[in-house]
Amino acid sequence: MRPFEKKAAISAESLWLIMDDLEKELGPLDDLEDDNDSSDDHSSIGTKKSKLPLVNPICEETLKETGFHQSMRACLEQIRDAMLHHRWQEAAEYMPCYSQMLEDTSHSTAQQSKELFWRISTEILHHHPNSRLEDYNNIYERMKHSGVKHYLMICLEHSFYLMLNGHIEDAKHQLSVAESWRHGKESAAQYQRTKLIQAYRSLLDYIIWCDKKFTHSKTDYHDAGDNQDMHSYFRQASVNLKEILKNPGVWDPFILSYVEMLEFYEDHDEALKVLNDYAYDNTFPPNPNAHVYLYQYLKRHNTTDKKLMKALKVLHVLVPSHELMLEYSSLLLQSEKKSDLQKALGVILEMLDFACWRGNVDVWKRLKAIIQKLQLQEDWKDVVSEKMAARKDWWPALHFTRFHASQDSEENPELKEVKASLTKILCPDLTLKYSAGQKTIVD
Amino acid sequence: MDDEHTAGYREPCAQCAAVDWGVSDEGRFYCRSCHNVIERTREVVDPNFTPGSTRISTISRGSRTKRPERGRQWMICEGFQFILRNQADALLRLGVSPNFKDDVLCQLWRLYLQKSRQAFTHNPVTSSKFKVRGLDSDSDSAAESSVVSASETNPSSAAGSNAESSSEWSLCSGSVDAAGYLSARLRRTRGLMSMTKTLALIHLALIWSAEALTLSDLLRLVNEGHVPYVNAYEDLPDEMKLEGKDALIFRVEDVPSHQRVHKEAETLLLFLQLPAFPPISRQSLLHPSLLSLRYLMDANLPDELHLWVCRLVERTSMADETLHVSDRLLRPVLPRYDVQTAALIIVTMKLLFGLDDHTEWDLSNQTGDQDDTGELFNLRRWYRLLQAALIRAQQRRVHDIARKQWKAKKPLYGNKSEKCTMIKKKRIAEQVQVCFERLSSCPAGVDRVDPSSFRFCWGNEDGADGPSLHQKKLDGVMTLKLGVLTPLNSAYWHPALKACKPRSCSSHYSEVEPTLPRTFVWLLQLFGFLLDVKPAYLYEEVLKVERRAIDGKTHQRKKRRTRPKTQAKARARTQRGRENKRETFN
Repeated sequence: MRPFEKKAAISAESLWLIMDDLEKELGPLDDLEDDNDSSDDHSSIGTKKSKLPLVNPICEETLKETGFHQSMRACLEQIRDAMLHHRWQEAAEYMPCYSQMLEDTSHSTAQQSKELFWRISTEILHHHPNSRLEDYNNIYERMKHSGVKHYLMICLEHSFYLMLNGHIEDAKHQLSVAESWRHGKESAAQYQRTKLIQAYRSLLDYIIWCDKKFTHSKTDYHDAGDNQDMHSYFRQASVNLKEILKNPGVWDPFILSYVEMLEFYEDHDEALKVLNDYAYDNTFPPNPNAHVYLYQYLKRHNTTDKKLMKALKVLHVLVPSHELMLEYSSLLLQSEKKSDLQKALGVILEMLDFACWRGNVDVWKRLKAIIQKLQLQEDWKDVVSEKMAARKDWWPALHFTRFHASQDSEENPELKEVKASLTKILCPDLTLKYSAGQKTIVD
Repeated sequence: MDDEHTAGYREPCAQCAAVDWGVSDEGRFYCRSCHNVIERTREVVDPNFTPGSTRISTISRGSRTKRPERGRQWMICEGFQFILRNQADALLRLGVSPNFKDDVLCQLWRLYLQKSRQAFTHNPVTSSKFKVRGLDSDSDSAAESSVVSASETNPSSAAGSNAESSSEWSLCSGSVDAAGYLSARLRRTRGLMSMTKTLALIHLALIWSAEALTLSDLLRLVNEGHVPYVNAYEDLPDEMKLEGKDALIFRVEDVPSHQRVHKEAETLLLFLQLPAFPPISRQSLLHPSLLSLRYLMDANLPDELHLWVCRLVERTSMADETLHVSDRLLRPVLPRYDVQTAALIIVTMKLLFGLDDHTEWDLSNQTGDQDDTGELFNLRRWYRLLQAALIRAQQRRVHDIARKQWKAKKPLYGNKSEKCTMIKKKRIAEQVQVCFERLSSCPAGVDRVDPSSFRFCWGNEDGADGPSLHQKKLDGVMTLKLGVLTPLNSAYWHPALKACKPRSCSSHYSEVEPTLPRTFVWLLQLFGFLLDVKPAYLYEEVLKVERRAIDGKTHQRKKRRTRPKTQAKARARTQRGRENKRETFN
């Protein structure tokens, strides 16, 4: 899957997350009455707080609220209500009135209201039927320059939007501008976002490189200029990607693109090094995909079985139900070592611990093959019972009930046959209702 | 350093702490030692345009700030005079008689200026020495020094003794005495003008000229934009430039509440030491007898109710015309005609219908059973109509509040640094607004409606809030006793009273409200909506009316809540004034 096909824009769920964050920042506000006049509804006892836990609403009245703030609060409530009910036209109608909020002179909530405004307007633009690209560009440009704290974030979101709509060049331009932004202490404090921006810019370079490669391979006429261009994009991208991949993190799309480019230019050593670092560096968070990528790469490049097995070893620990475990088990089956065979049995059984593989014929067949090879040894029964010891309690319920029998015989007779042949071997001392040739449920 | 571009900017660079600024091609400031680009840009200097002035006041040194346009020196009270005039003109356009502006408001204003020693006096509050500018002094420093020289106890017979403006054109902007105006000492004497006071002054003038505009009407006109208030300073003449501290005085983001304006008006009354107000005659539309007719119509109550309201007015001796005379010796009391009348109506309904969550519905059921023709007034039907209309009207009001435009086209800046940020914010806000207006094809702001005295419209036309109940008869709640029409309901309830400190407590409504009957609370909310006041405010007035009705004496300001929990039962009185009142103490 191409990286840019993944939905990178901020979705509605994140909008609610933002709402929650803002509530936490605003703090729990007491349920006070609107007290514009000092001698108003002020009893000598004092206002009583409710004993029940109150929801902290985002639009809460505060003491001494001016008419302007009251209007803005009412406007925000209307917008919020309209958005929650998906009345996008109505929400868009309130937005010109809410834009007055950007002129507010009170400093305490300035940053929050700007962020709120930005997120609300992009959400409305996403859903409104008449929204155009110019509107997005307009809003993003305005909101970018309204404050320094969120300049980089908005740049990133803007470029994501352009990326998702196919304007790769524009997206790249946005990110280049953002990369070169400096604002004293502020840009220094946001260096993590800058890193992210650099990473995505390199990704965009990669995408452009892919396009160029594609067009390049289509045409027979090789233009030297195009080639040069392609290489320059590769260089730009690789410089940054190499830097980025040194930082701990989950960089799946970036590493894939980097490796693809390296493969094209046949720099196998570098590619291998990068993949190994990504998979085995302890400072990086544990990431099964890293091992998958490494394995796939090795497989593409004809490595020895031993190396392949090594690559899958950690993956087995991380994700025992991974589909590559089938391949792992076949590798182990093919090897000569006795311990590998036992390992293979363990791998397959662990796979079948998960309900997703329950109905898969290939897995059961593999299990059967392993058992068959195992039966050549004398102590196979001990091996099997040892592996099945922990499973005896719950495997029958997972695989070998009467219901499974009827279901399998209707849907997948081959599976039924394979499973039936294994029941006695796996669970010798239990009488199971699962047997070959049983078509009906009722006895 | 590029002096001519970066003159005056002395901030050290954030990265290298050097003070060595240059301007790049795009106009951005950058640090010459570390090439750090900052957000600051060089402002464009407009070519100066002086209309018809042959006098050279200064030769400026080519500073990087925009040269201020020429304006004249002016005082704060001049500004307020213009604003008051605009407000009065707006009222005249709405139908108030010209007598209000020419004879009453002008006189009041002049009296105010005299009392507050801002004009028409030998002993002015602030004196500003209008200095002639030197050739090479900066305009800003000149303005500041003239303000600094303003001293409160230094009489200058020439400068401050007339409210006329000096027509000297110079490079000054902003009013001359803004700083003095905001000084603590002057504020403490509470003599000085504020935007709220303009409304208070107009309210006094309206009462004096016995115009039918109540305070809640006036505030409604202000809220709807028919009378300038928010951003009223935009209509000041161009040569009066507003800057700096003027913003603190003239910039408002709030329309004051009924209570606040009323308090200001009372303070003003005391301050101005006015002679007795002309009495409010029974024919005047401010008198409770006629004002109640208007509110009854608005609330879709039957016309027959008016008779009973008038009787209550008699009973509480509020029909007395001399009541509205202000007493100079004691603290003057300005009657709140609108709130009082609404309270009278509520008490009348309480007398007739009980409003204790039982009696009125029983009566309503009876009426429903008896009535075949549909001629009788049925409270339940009335309540349903009103509740639906009220909910719709409240939603409309919330909608209007949400869409109200507060920010001015020509914003007012507190100081120079605020100016830059505000200009930038305004630009961003305007562009965003244009974008969304295009997207939704709906311009910002509220649709202007024509002003009306009524909130609701009852009848059978299109757009009416519901059918009219004005012609219905009250026979369902009346009976003939000894040949006299008497209400069927003979009980009257009163909320529990308890001792409280008269000074610190103002309203106990929030405590009492859960114990009050729901119909009564709803009625308070209805009239609170009609008048745009808080139900608590109305509730206090209802208590006052009740006290007057029970005591039969003139209302005294000092609250005496000394009775323990009582429940007073009073029979409604008859036309002949027989006092059948009987109070039982439980």
